[in-house]
Amino acid sequence: MATDTTTEVAGGFGQVSRTVGQLFRYLLLAATLFGLVFVTILLVYVANDAIQPLTADPGWHLTFFLALVVPTLAAGAYVYRRDGEAFQTGALAIGLAVVSLMFSGGAAMIFADIVEPLTFLAFLVAVAVPGVVTLAVVAYDDRIPFLGQFAVTVAAFYLSLFGVPGPLGAAAGISSVVPGVFGLLAGVPLAPAPWLLAVLSVGLPLAAVGGSLVARDRGRRARLFAGAGILAVPLAGGIVGPFVGVDPLPATVVASVGFVPPIVYAANVAINVPRERVALLIPVTIIVGALVGAFAVDLAGFAGPQSWVDWAFLTASHSNTAEDAGFYPAIGGSILLMVTVAVFAFPVGVGAAVYLEEYAPDNRFTRVVDVNISNLAGVPSVVYGLLGFGLFVTYLGQPDGTVLLGGLTLGLLILPIVIISAREAIRSVPEEQRAASYGMGATKWQTVKNVVLPRSFSGILTGTILALGRAIGETAPLIMIGAPNVTYSLPTSFSEAASAMPLQVYAWSSLYAGPNFYNKVVPAGVVVLVAVLLAMNSIAIVLRNKYQVGD
Amino acid sequence: MTENTSETRAESDGGTTADPTNDEMVIETDVAGATDDRDSTATPDPIIRSRDLDVFYGEERALDSIDIDIPENRVTAIIGPSGCGKSTFLRCVNRMNDRIDSCRVTGELSLRGKNVYDDDVDPVALRRRVGMVFQEPNPFPKSIYDNVAYGLDIQDVEGDHDEIVEESLKRAALWDEVNHQLDSSGLELSGGQQQRLCIARAIAPDPEVLLMDEPASALDPVATSQVEDLIEELAEDYTVIIVTHNMQQAARISDKTAVFLTGGELVEFGDTEQIFENPEHQRVEDYITGKFG
Amino acid sequence: MSGDSLEEALTTRTANAPPELLSRSFFFVCAALSIATTIGLIVLLTTEAAKFFSFSAPLVGVTGETASVVEFLTGTNWGPTEGNFGVLSLVSATLMIMIGSSLLALPLGVGTAIYLSEYASPRLRGVLKPGLEILAGIPTVVYGFFAIIYITPALQPFVPGLGTFNILSACIVVGIMIIPMVASISEDAMSAVPESLRQAGYGMGATKFEVSTGIVVPASLSGIFSSFILALSRAIGETMAVTIAAGSTAQFLNVLNPAAYTERALPMTAAMVKLVGGDVTGGGVAYRSVFAIGITLFVITLAMNVISDLVAQHYREEY
Repeated sequence: MATDTTTEVAGGFGQVSRTVGQLFRYLLLAATLFGLVFVTILLVYVANDAIQPLTADPGWHLTFFLALVVPTLAAGAYVYRRDGEAFQTGALAIGLAVVSLMFSGGAAMIFADIVEPLTFLAFLVAVAVPGVVTLAVVAYDDRIPFLGQFAVTVAAFYLSLFGVPGPLGAAAGISSVVPGVFGLLAGVPLAPAPWLLAVLSVGLPLAAVGGSLVARDRGRRARLFAGAGILAVPLAGGIVGPFVGVDPLPATVVASVGFVPPIVYAANVAINVPRERVALLIPVTIIVGALVGAFAVDLAGFAGPQSWVDWAFLTASHSNTAEDAGFYPAIGGSILLMVTVAVFAFPVGVGAAVYLEEYAPDNRFTRVVDVNISNLAGVPSVVYGLLGFGLFVTYLGQPDGTVLLGGLTLGLLILPIVIISAREAIRSVPEEQRAASYGMGATKWQTVKNVVLPRSFSGILTGTILALGRAIGETAPLIMIGAPNVTYSLPTSFSEAASAMPLQVYAWSSLYAGPNFYNKVVPAGVVVLVAVLLAMNSIAIVLRNKYQVGD
Repeated sequence: MTENTSETRAESDGGTTADPTNDEMVIETDVAGATDDRDSTATPDPIIRSRDLDVFYGEERALDSIDIDIPENRVTAIIGPSGCGKSTFLRCVNRMNDRIDSCRVTGELSLRGKNVYDDDVDPVALRRRVGMVFQEPNPFPKSIYDNVAYGLDIQDVEGDHDEIVEESLKRAALWDEVNHQLDSSGLELSGGQQQRLCIARAIAPDPEVLLMDEPASALDPVATSQVEDLIEELAEDYTVIIVTHNMQQAARISDKTAVFLTGGELVEFGDTEQIFENPEHQRVEDYITGKFG
Repeated sequence: MSGDSLEEALTTRTANAPPELLSRSFFFVCAALSIATTIGLIVLLTTEAAKFFSFSAPLVGVTGETASVVEFLTGTNWGPTEGNFGVLSLVSATLMIMIGSSLLALPLGVGTAIYLSEYASPRLRGVLKPGLEILAGIPTVVYGFFAIIYITPALQPFVPGLGTFNILSACIVVGIMIIPMVASISEDAMSAVPESLRQAGYGMGATKFEVSTGIVVPASLSGIFSSFILALSRAIGETMAVTIAAGSTAQFLNVLNPAAYTERALPMTAAMVKLVGGDVTGGGVAYRSVFAIGITLFVITLAMNVISDLVAQHYREEY
């Protein structure tokens, strides 16, 4: 095959072939960029429709340009010239802040409308108590046989979560005698304010992790102080929140989930990586610039853009008039769906991948599973919707369109993707590591638990996040299982029907087709949906890059 | 000899009889006489004994009817050109070859009289009694302490783990270098330290035999000599079988030497001094003097 | 010495210890679940579709309205509420989406693959590949919205007779959507071409262009084809973008007539969404036609995946 072209060259040597080569190269580059540029243009259009930056006063633009854009560019250039790695750290800090703030919104939503802080705290304690029991049992494991340990562990969790006799007794018609830890705590009549509970259940664990990370080389006292310092952030959120017009509970949650991670990251850089301290110039410039800009704009009375993506859009539910329509129930539905999908698809997908990579003998069954998984990955999502509907609704008699149903259907849909990416991550664990473990007389499970899974964890996580992104972007399966186009409130349990972000966008663009929805509400929904997905994908990609470098 | 016959022989009676027609096979008379006889005064008891051990990778023969008696508490070196099956033999002792699907083993290899290829032997249990150190240092990405304690944890070894970890690190001549940083990652150590860490890890559960597969080949000269010194010291308490392609190393540290040559044959086995100064076989002499290999 | 206790230790079975058994069975069940999913899919689709066709409905005990399988497979008129079940009009729309999007995606995808594997510096590749991944990560419903709100109005001045809903803009967005798939699988195949083959080409005095087109592309041809088939199967199964962009009027169109691409149409996937999303209620024959379309879709995409696998295996065996 190579000779075909080389004989051709013999005729017209030299320049001709070089011109053709250059042309070819540029054509290829154009082909590569085509899709990217095309979609970027569309995204700019949709962002323009949703945010409408041109409706702002020119003075507003000028103020923010001078206060925010110019200093940020200057700081970025300065840091980049001094140290490329520090620049990356700074950019990462900004990215982390954006992503955490986004997720803190979701978390605030969950605590405000779905799970009460007291319930969550009760659940945490009810899991922590048997967890400690399990650890204690495992620590004495040479004296207790495995089955005994297993029984004690299961019993501890069961008693703590359900009490005596629990759902088993209820099934047999015996009413509850002794409530579990969960029931006891969740039913406490006199509990502190919800936001204080949120500080305990969300802020405290984050502060503990953050404190030990920031002061990791400085002893127990320093770690304690650092943790206390970090805990002040959610506390401050709850106290300051009401003064700026936010309820104390969501303010606490946003402060914990949204502010603590970037603050910990920045503190960690400042304390433990002195070489990259200069990186913090970038986030500081941005924060100060934004505050100064906002203050100046307020002072001068410049009007901002009339964005459709605003507080009202994010917190209102659907309405037939475009001006009042909001995205809140759809966002909440998507969050719940994602949790369900993750809880189902992650363990099962990783389990299947571990089986296929570490256990499976090379036989017919394994090959069938192997081929089957790659074929399942190619089945259209709409057919999965049919499967979910037929299996769970027609045959198992579940109600239509519930969170659980949607989560299981989407879970089945992304399962092949999770399995394939987890297998790749497991395969990348060096064989020497396995040999070392087996050479020490480790069993398969010990090797998987101690060597294979820890080594491949970040790769597995990357694949799972990408797959979850795929799941929350899916619409067709949700339509097939009968998820409602429009819901007016958040689902409060997994057996309630829920909408989702893409489904809401579809409903708006098909059922409410009209210029008002087309030019305002749908773009706003698209911007939110795409922003969430971009955030998830960038987390996954950053994780993968770090992990590849680490190897 | 055809493959068929060797297989049937091995399957019929566990393959305890040597093939008398195999004239290239040499068994040291004194060792052969001492098999299974614990009262023998001349040499220590053989801790590992193989008879008619054949290994195939698919259709390819990797070891050809190996008969060997490896004495206890001695360093036994296995040398030979690459591809001669010396690593394969080592991996037979702890059945690491089981992990290769195409690998098939026939014949007998016994540890203290128990054939490790008997059906009732669990390879995992076997590996808990036979430690192994690999060519490339392969510490786990865990702390130094956890690396050494790995075997203790997975085997549920009773007793004070802190003490055993300290003792093992001392025996591996690493304690003085790492005692202040037991919590730091094993991967932060230098190559030579990593290999000594792997040795500490291997001896922590107190195995019967320590297998070493070219343990110094990935190390620099200084680290190599440290590891060599260590191996000589370990021989006071352990039976060490070391595969090496470095003949000087074998001569320096081993008590016994086995020479494998191409085709998976054990050509000569005897005291290291005798093998290097006065080999019985012309092929071994040619190999040792560098005429081929 | 310790002979007896050693023998005892060696014969202790670790493989059947409870933690081992428990973990192994869990992993096995997880792996087997994928088989169960497939079996569930096949059983469900066949039994439900069987209720739809008149020849098979009595076998599964369904009485009442049914449709003729011949009419289903050869009819060109789709109108479930009127009892017309000619799937060909849906198939024609699906085919047009497939053809139109592949005209865009296949050349661009292969071009991208060649550029990434042969020309791009590692640094550039580090930027472009995540970019393409993000392209593939944008939800299809968003692409559908792009098609009706931006692409169709932008095309209308240039394409006479282009309605609000049309196949052309659906083809464009589906094409954009499947570029990353063609590109990444083809690039894998091209990267698998041994360096020695390239060296041989350069050694003969070939330019980079000649090595790329004359050596790398031919050598990875089966991988490229396999990516094509997978991408086409993806285009066939694509739902939301075509549902939003192509409209919901079933028409039997001439696939090869370029003018037909300005028409509105109802591809198979869109027909399923339309049926479930509001056309019909209850469990009548119209409703069951969803499963008939579903099984048709499943069989087509499965066949294409299997073919693509076979083709891809071909190149894996080569090196």
